[in-house]
Amino acid sequence: MSSKLTPSRAIFLGLAVVTLLIWALITVIPLYWMFIGSFQDSMASASFQPQMLPDIWSTAPYDRFFNKTAAFRWLFNSLFVSAILTLTNLFFASMAGYAFAKLKFPGKNSIFWVLLSTMMIPTQVTLIPLYILVINTFNLADTYTAIILPALVGVGNIFLMKQYMSTLPTSLIHAARIDACSEFGIFWKIILPMAKPGLAVLAIFSFVAHWNDFFWPLLVTRSNDMRTIQVGLASFKFAESTDYGAIMAGATVGALPMVILFFSLQKYFLQGITIGAVKG
Amino acid sequence: MARVEFRNVFKEYEDEKKGKFVAVSDSSFEIKDKEFVVFVGPSGCGKTTSLRMIAGLERQTSGDIVIGDRVVNQLHPKDRDIAMVFQDYALYPHMTIAENLAFGLKNLKRPKEEIERKVKEASTILGLEELLDRKPRELSGGQRQRVAVGRAIVRDPQVFLFDEPLSNLDAKLRVQMRVELAELHKRLGATIVYVTHDQVEAMTLGERIVVMNKGHIQQVASPAELYNKPSNMFVAGFIGSPAMNFMDAKIENGRVVVEGAQFTMPEAVTKGLKAYEGQSLVLGIRPEHIYGSDFTMNAPTDNKLTAHVTVLENLGAENLVYFKNGKRMITSRLNPETAIQVGAFKEFVLDMTKAHFFDPKTEARIIL
Repeated sequence: MSSKLTPSRAIFLGLAVVTLLIWALITVIPLYWMFIGSFQDSMASASFQPQMLPDIWSTAPYDRFFNKTAAFRWLFNSLFVSAILTLTNLFFASMAGYAFAKLKFPGKNSIFWVLLSTMMIPTQVTLIPLYILVINTFNLADTYTAIILPALVGVGNIFLMKQYMSTLPTSLIHAARIDACSEFGIFWKIILPMAKPGLAVLAIFSFVAHWNDFFWPLLVTRSNDMRTIQVGLASFKFAESTDYGAIMAGATVGALPMVILFFSLQKYFLQGITIGAVKG
Repeated sequence: MARVEFRNVFKEYEDEKKGKFVAVSDSSFEIKDKEFVVFVGPSGCGKTTSLRMIAGLERQTSGDIVIGDRVVNQLHPKDRDIAMVFQDYALYPHMTIAENLAFGLKNLKRPKEEIERKVKEASTILGLEELLDRKPRELSGGQRQRVAVGRAIVRDPQVFLFDEPLSNLDAKLRVQMRVELAELHKRLGATIVYVTHDQVEAMTLGERIVVMNKGHIQQVASPAELYNKPSNMFVAGFIGSPAMNFMDAKIENGRVVVEGAQFTMPEAVTKGLKAYEGQSLVLGIRPEHIYGSDFTMNAPTDNKLTAHVTVLENLGAENLVYFKNGKRMITSRLNPETAIQVGAFKEFVLDMTKAHFFDPKTEARIIL
């Protein structure tokens, strides 16, 4: 590729930079607002006016968030549920992905297509039957199991892992088979170590998705102690008033793990976008 | 070490689009103990499928495969006592070279001392001692190839299987590794089954060669026999580089008539050809048995053919000269001192003592 800066290329680059800057600004403004808002003490919703910088920096919203609510419990719940679901998704999706990508068994393609087609059904459609099943049939209301069970493994994650596993050379599996490795041993000792980048992407996506999940935990949890951080934050909104300051403080605290996760694992996020696109 | 036998082995695949596809058809042969046998043929001929069936990575549709004294049809690859070297080496990328070499033995739960000793022995044989702590990605192609061979050696298997192991190496390294493999065979005294599409590799390495095409075995013979007595036109055309020339011929009055020339055959051949008087045949002659009339290397000069030279390839040690006879392009391998001009007519001498005859319909060799 030529690195020579021709006038047309300069214009193109300039436009690209301006577009990206505007886009970045649009993306950052809500986060900035959240951050600034969390340091503005405004108990009353009416008085809450977003400003570029607060007149008085106050940690009162944080104080209210942590001390007047079960914030730590919510954070723990979110962490616990997200961690468990990340682990189960890693475990099941990688095994299913491996099977779909590399093993031969009757009906492999049909089963895979049936699974994939379930992705086309909107969550809202299955929500009520799922709710009835979990709450009424299994009697799991207000338990971790209720939050975790339906999300043990996502079809999207199976698909992601299948795509990744497909790029691994099959000859390694054959070599391991000849090297007297058991079928589970092949998966555990050969495939998983090679699939680390794919697993990292899956772990990040999975953790973020479940950390941010709001609707399902809201439906199946009732007591304050069982709420996740996202559900907990919503409880700040009342019919007559809303404590925006505390909400912003909570949102900031809730977003913090994601921000840290993103910046420390940026490489894998980008890799996740290209998985399946490039044979490696 | 052990012998390997195929008894009427078939392998069929069910393809969604093409329907039933026969990869290996009624394959029967025996590989003797300590023999180096090469499966050779073009892509899709069934050679790799045959190898993978010996390994147990593919299950045959019917027929028996015997390793040693056991019919191994139902045996898992690990129980067949074989080791395989793959085309892409198939080294475990996350393990060091030492771990790669030891992996199979660890799975077999061999004692630690034995594993260490065998890894050391194999790495000494293959000159890998300095590389044991490295990862495969830090090695060159040739080194990776050696590790792949080493992984097979440590297992001390009854049969070694090689699946086009040199095809990813550059030409120079390929020649070097070829020599090393031949030496290794002598040293280990192992039964080796080797798959390649490269007939030079097959001829130089194999004690016997199994030539395959479209799932059928064409001929099983020593390199010399394949070269001198190919059983059909496919083998004749596949073994030898450049390939054997074919000319449409007719037997008239005991002589072989091709377009623009008549050839007198040696007495024994003339006798044999009597039965084909008036019939069409295919005359096969290798490029190295066609000479320029001015440089015949003591070959009999009574059979000449004049043709228009269309292409000349100068390879230094020899010249490849192309001319047409009828519809067929003929190649001759000439001494570089032979006077040749592209576009000019040239008189060629064909050594009919080295000629082959084939049935134009069945393409089978006519034994005279």
